[in-house]
Amino acid sequence: MNLSQLANVTRRHFLSRTGMGIGALALASLEGKTARAGITVDATRPLAERQPQFAPRATRVIYIHLTGSPPNLDLYDYKPELVKRNGQNCPDQFLAGKIFAFTSGVPKLLGTPRKFAQHGKSGTWLSDAMPNFHAPDIVDEMCFIHSMYTEQFNHAPAELLIYTGSPRPGRPSMGSWVTYGLGTENQNLPGFVVLISSGVQPNGGANSYGSGFLPSVFQGVQCRSKGDPVLFVSDPPGMDRTLRRRSLDTLRQMNELQEHELGHPETLTRIAQYELAFRMQTSVPEVMDIGKESKETLATYGAEPGASSFANNCLLARRLVEQGVRFVQLFDWGWDYHGTHVNEGLTDGLTKKMAATDKPISALIRDLRQRGLLDETLIVCGGEFGRTPFREGRTAASAVLGRDHYPDCFTMWLAGGGVKPGFNYGQTDDLGFGVIENKVHVHDLQATIMHLVGFNHERLTYRFQGRDYRLTDIHGNVVREILA
Amino acid sequence: MLQRVSWICWTLLVVGTGAAIVHGEPPVDFIREVRPILSNKCFTCHGPDASKRKAGLRLDDAESGNRELESGATAVVPGDVDASALVERITSSDPDSVMPPPTFNKPVTAAEVALLKRWIKENGHFAGHWSYTRPVRATPPEPPAEWKAWPRNEIDRFALASMLSHNLHPSPEADRAALARRVFLDITGLPPTIEEVEAFVSSKDPQAYEKLVDELLHRPAYGEHWARLWLDLARYADSAGYADDPPRTIWAYRDWVIRAFNANMPFDEFTIEQIAGDLLPNPTENQLIATAFHRNTLTNNEGGTQDEEFRNVALVDRVNTTMAVWMGTTMACAQCHNHKYDPISQKEYFQFFAVLNNTEDADLQNESPVLPIYTVEQRQQVVKTQVAAAAWQSLLALRPNLDEQINAVVAAEPVLNFVANPSTTVPIYRERAEPRETRIQHRGNYLDKGEVVQAGLPAAFRVAVGQGPINRLALARWLVNKDNPLTARVLVNRYWDTLFGRGIVSTSEEFGSQGELPTHPELLDWLAVDFMESGWDMRALVRKIVTSATYRQSSQVVGDAAKIDPDNRWLARGPRVRLSAEMIRDQALAVSGLLSGKMYGPPVHPPQPSLGLSAAFGSSTDWETSKGEDRYRRAIYTTWRRSNPYPSMATFDAPNRETCTLRRNATNTPLQSLVTLNDPVFIEAAQALARLGLQHAGSTDERIAYMLKRCLLRDARPEERRSLVQLYNDSHAQFAAQPAPAKEMATIPLGDLPAAMNVADAASMTVVANVLLNLDETFLKR
Repeated sequence: MNLSQLANVTRRHFLSRTGMGIGALALASLEGKTARAGITVDATRPLAERQPQFAPRATRVIYIHLTGSPPNLDLYDYKPELVKRNGQNCPDQFLAGKIFAFTSGVPKLLGTPRKFAQHGKSGTWLSDAMPNFHAPDIVDEMCFIHSMYTEQFNHAPAELLIYTGSPRPGRPSMGSWVTYGLGTENQNLPGFVVLISSGVQPNGGANSYGSGFLPSVFQGVQCRSKGDPVLFVSDPPGMDRTLRRRSLDTLRQMNELQEHELGHPETLTRIAQYELAFRMQTSVPEVMDIGKESKETLATYGAEPGASSFANNCLLARRLVEQGVRFVQLFDWGWDYHGTHVNEGLTDGLTKKMAATDKPISALIRDLRQRGLLDETLIVCGGEFGRTPFREGRTAASAVLGRDHYPDCFTMWLAGGGVKPGFNYGQTDDLGFGVIENKVHVHDLQATIMHLVGFNHERLTYRFQGRDYRLTDIHGNVVREILA
Repeated sequence: MLQRVSWICWTLLVVGTGAAIVHGEPPVDFIREVRPILSNKCFTCHGPDASKRKAGLRLDDAESGNRELESGATAVVPGDVDASALVERITSSDPDSVMPPPTFNKPVTAAEVALLKRWIKENGHFAGHWSYTRPVRATPPEPPAEWKAWPRNEIDRFALASMLSHNLHPSPEADRAALARRVFLDITGLPPTIEEVEAFVSSKDPQAYEKLVDELLHRPAYGEHWARLWLDLARYADSAGYADDPPRTIWAYRDWVIRAFNANMPFDEFTIEQIAGDLLPNPTENQLIATAFHRNTLTNNEGGTQDEEFRNVALVDRVNTTMAVWMGTTMACAQCHNHKYDPISQKEYFQFFAVLNNTEDADLQNESPVLPIYTVEQRQQVVKTQVAAAAWQSLLALRPNLDEQINAVVAAEPVLNFVANPSTTVPIYRERAEPRETRIQHRGNYLDKGEVVQAGLPAAFRVAVGQGPINRLALARWLVNKDNPLTARVLVNRYWDTLFGRGIVSTSEEFGSQGELPTHPELLDWLAVDFMESGWDMRALVRKIVTSATYRQSSQVVGDAAKIDPDNRWLARGPRVRLSAEMIRDQALAVSGLLSGKMYGPPVHPPQPSLGLSAAFGSSTDWETSKGEDRYRRAIYTTWRRSNPYPSMATFDAPNRETCTLRRNATNTPLQSLVTLNDPVFIEAAQALARLGLQHAGSTDERIAYMLKRCLLRDARPEERRSLVQLYNDSHAQFAAQPAPAKEMATIPLGDLPAAMNVADAASMTVVANVLLNLDETFLKR
């Protein structure tokens, strides 16, 4: 097969129909030479480390998703004018022609019940809900985008849009795109790990970390700090490691005999997968065992060995990126601040939830910095949309304050690998209804993340159904102003 | 004119008019070599989309590229490279002039420039896309004398001609046992038993293979296996999707598909009933159940969602799925703009949408309309007891025949409801009395509406729409109209892909300009025409392929074959394909004697790890394992929850079925190894296989050979036996000294050993069986 013939083979076909296994044959990089913005995928080692298109600012990503969407107006986006007009009818101009998930009629404006103050050298306004972020070495590490927006105001579609670039299921998630582009450094661990806390899956289900039409080798692998750290990684009851090794030796001999007999090079690939699986059986439990951390470290995160918590997951995220895992995705449930339950209220509920959140995140930032990893690790944190500057309809008369879903503006923050520390970007209007400066769409955020890991988002593509798909669909501009 | 001629004729034309054939090189093949370049790099501005067309230049049809443009230039002047503006523009060094524009990010390479120049010099004529003209049955080529005896049917003559032209030749036939295992797996999804293989191998009947194929095609397992492929396309699942992903009762549709395959329902009927069964005169209950095909779209039950928004989303999915499943055509692009590569306009997209836009279902939580299904007993009870009111009595009087009365009960649902709750329900299609208005939606936004459009079907395929209203029934008939250039090709190619692991069109999901070209166009067309002329007989299609000499070849790779043709495009050896997720599970249960043969009914819960999670706003992702034989049913009956696909199957590339899956990937990953090494389902199978081995008369060596034979359906080679016996002995030494682990290894999760069985023996044999269930050969159809 010569190069021009190779070019005829779609990558999808190549990966799938060869069972990822044509001996040492690697798909040549077609970058810049043909129409397809391709990458090199060695079919026998699809997760092998690959070079990005240009020098990356970050080699790993930790993406913290606050499932449900935190109330930005009570955390990061201070609106004194809204406080002044608390309780007034929401002006018509903000309601005309709009649909809200749980609000109809004329709702009342809701000024934040939280106290705000400026923190750090950056003078960033932060609410009192997250005292740990007030520390100058934390807030001045963060790069806030106050001008995020989306089109989706229901959880599942909005979350899918953030992670897959489309509000409908079926496309690869961000972590899948990144591992497809870069492979992973440590072959003994999955390249894309998912950690879920608070007992609930993300809104998009497995799609939020799925591989869509990319080969399933690029899908997120859910890891746990309780039970089997990765599904089926433990040997069956009664089989110890010696016997497992012994049985795998026989399996290998048998497979080699078969390869000799039938001459299928794919058999060699399968042999390699079993060896990799054996190593994962050791390396996964090791990396997932936070009991190996010092008491001090556990205390700074608020982590507890054997439990399942957001704090544990933050610590695990550090352990995983330290071991060369490419993309760590955290999902934490419980951020849907409607006010329908005291835990979803903007006063006590938010205080309680944030207390379990800002501490481990701050510990994670310090820990990475101390280990010299923060410069090359990009942290991203946020929800799937914003929340209304008015009280949501169902709870308008309740003692518990809450806000409805809102797509037009919200805040996210990034830190570490390649973003400006202690930086505030974009602005919303005085009441927090819309972006008035430097709009950043979800696709722009995606383009920026891809840029930071070394890819032109328009050129990291995969052909499916005759179209070269990419994470940013047909949109997206890199937000250069936030790059360090 | 060129667009109307067949592939072969076209090639002849190229050769015939090729004025200047470069010495020693075959002439440039426009369809194979040139059109893909133009499609990729030029069609966006010079293709079917008139609204975005630049300089009035169009390169995707047969004539326009040779016409003089308003500017006075002509893109391509046949035979005259220097006069062809196309060459000037693609080679220009001026960034303002060069094509494609640098911002397009798709420069034409030097090799492509050379090719385009050669094509213009030799010929310079265009043609439309190959798959938009009707397939024509070509005469299969005569085999050369040396291979006269090889072909068994027409497939082989086509395959032989192309292998020989690639300096390859047929492989010998696979050995009988390997062939038996292959064809059992391909037709029924299950491996044969040792006895079945032995009966076939020892048969002296020259027609033994053909008889076996016929017998397998009539087994109930055939329908269970081939239904799986269709359920991927239908995005069948037992949950409604999105965040909370609640259970959805729709398994009656899954059973309908299995039954349709087993009844060998012709594909045209199969199509019409699913798209428009409710619009047939006096539809039967089964014809209504069939319409659940498009009720498999997601329903969004998240609080605060607009039902109309997600009704539209489901509609879009149905439009895209219909065209992808039947015609291998990606409509999705045209939802937001005229298609850039294929001749489908945005207006046509919404005309198609209008055809499907008149059903009652509207993203409601109760999935209405649903059809209650009553058992025969329940219906008979109604008929016999005549519980009903006067209207009911008169209805019965009109239908003296009991069957008719039973059918009438379907229409008399309220009456039946007095007697019993339905045994199950299924969401169905029901046409609204008052049609909905359909407007073009801008940028895919259901609230941003443009002009009103009437129902219609895309013109580019040149298929006549029958008399009468353009509704779903007209659409269904249009899809299976014999003039439709794509439906039969797409279907036979999908079958070929399933059986050989690679389609004749390798992008079996995409037959448009951006898809790959067929490796064997004449074979594809021959099969497509034959399929239509057979009366759309799916069983006959499988039979035709698996009885060919091409299919029966050994898959052994000899000499340089892996280098010359790694993908086996030229079919000079038999298929080698990794089993699907479902087959891997079913096979482990089958060879260990655990598999239940129970068919149909509500989905079941085989063991899955408890994760302690819930779906967002929804119920736990854990489930209670089914009791009794339901624990061991075929994988097709496993509950398919979209947000939480069954973990072991998802690891082996089963899709979550939120959208239509046109082709599964087959990956090879360490996580798969962990499943088959450690998943309790596979450990249980290993324990059961070990017990069968220990109950088999003979020495340890003979018992192990027996177990291997159950898995691979061949005799163990001496070195394999030695290797496995050694593993058994080593394990035994360990387990004899460690009774507690031995007991765990032998009994968790399968349970207590039979009375006379020694624990260390069973534990050690389980270790051996675990290896057997993990052999590369076990995962392969070879």
